[in-house]
Amino acid sequence: MLTKSLKRALLDSRWPMPPTFLLPWAAGLTTVSHSTAASNLPPPLVSGVSNISRQREALQQDQRAPPRASSGPLASLPELPAANATSSPPALSQSVRELLPVLQAQGPHYIVAHLYDRPYLLTQGDTLRLPFHMKDVEPGDILRLDRASIIGSRDYTLKAATAPPALNQSTGKVSYVDDRLFVCRAVVMGVESDPLHVEEKTKRRQRKVKRVKSKHRHTILRIKEVRVRGLEEVE
Amino acid sequence: MSSAQRYFRITLLRSAIGLPGRTSRILAALGLHNKRLRTVYHPVSPDVAGQIFAVKELVDVQEVDQALTQQELRELRRPDKGWYVERRAAEGRSG
Repeated sequence: MLTKSLKRALLDSRWPMPPTFLLPWAAGLTTVSHSTAASNLPPPLVSGVSNISRQREALQQDQRAPPRASSGPLASLPELPAANATSSPPALSQSVRELLPVLQAQGPHYIVAHLYDRPYLLTQGDTLRLPFHMKDVEPGDILRLDRASIIGSRDYTLKAATAPPALNQSTGKVSYVDDRLFVCRAVVMGVESDPLHVEEKTKRRQRKVKRVKSKHRHTILRIKEVRVRGLEEVE
Repeated sequence: MSSAQRYFRITLLRSAIGLPGRTSRILAALGLHNKRLRTVYHPVSPDVAGQIFAVKELVDVQEVDQALTQQELRELRRPDKGWYVERRAAEGRSG
């Protein structure tokens, strides 16, 4: 879970500029020749000092996230110095400051939470049947969902600012709301499994029939809490 | 200080379907023989520059300092988990 932030940290490290150009990879892609401008360079992987933010509020672009343990294919990269954990959390934009209390006051709330970048529209009390089996969790574990792209109530919606798609290349990247602004908890109810499904593979005029069994499992979550935090809690 | 090796970061934006065979063979030589929006890294040299020039309408090129491997590129595409365990059932309730 934590290696992703590390990779983003490596990406962002060299550039002191605001990370607009970092999101997504397709930003700035063009078939028109252009001189190498700083904004078009993808951030190289070097020993990093600071960390990238995956989420941006309406007008603010910022860097955050504490250091993560390195692992996987990136372990061979130049060793990271201790990441800059003293960077202050990003400031909230003006519109967020003004309207967050209003959003908070108008319950109930819904949230579009992302698990592995797949969106799920949720509210408190929902039962969520995931399309995958969540490993390493037991029934009764409390999970905190920390990636959301939209939080809303009946009349108000909080979204993350998205970079404009470059050159009609929609890469499906999602930008996330600042996770200090909300709390979303779910409890693991258990695991369901599908009926045994047998897939027959064969060709015409061929007697041999290969049968492949599959029995998929699904983790069931129950959303216990969807809450918008107040400004005092956030800051 | 001698300049470090620079690399071209080449991304295939448009397909070579319908174009003369020479074009798709050049893309294959660059390593872009699979799909749109794949990226490859090549060291900056006149040879590679000529190859890029031949398919310049199909690709996007940037000059960078470090080449990423395909495995590293794949790791970068990996999505955030989106969840973490706050409390295990085995820990029991507090209070």
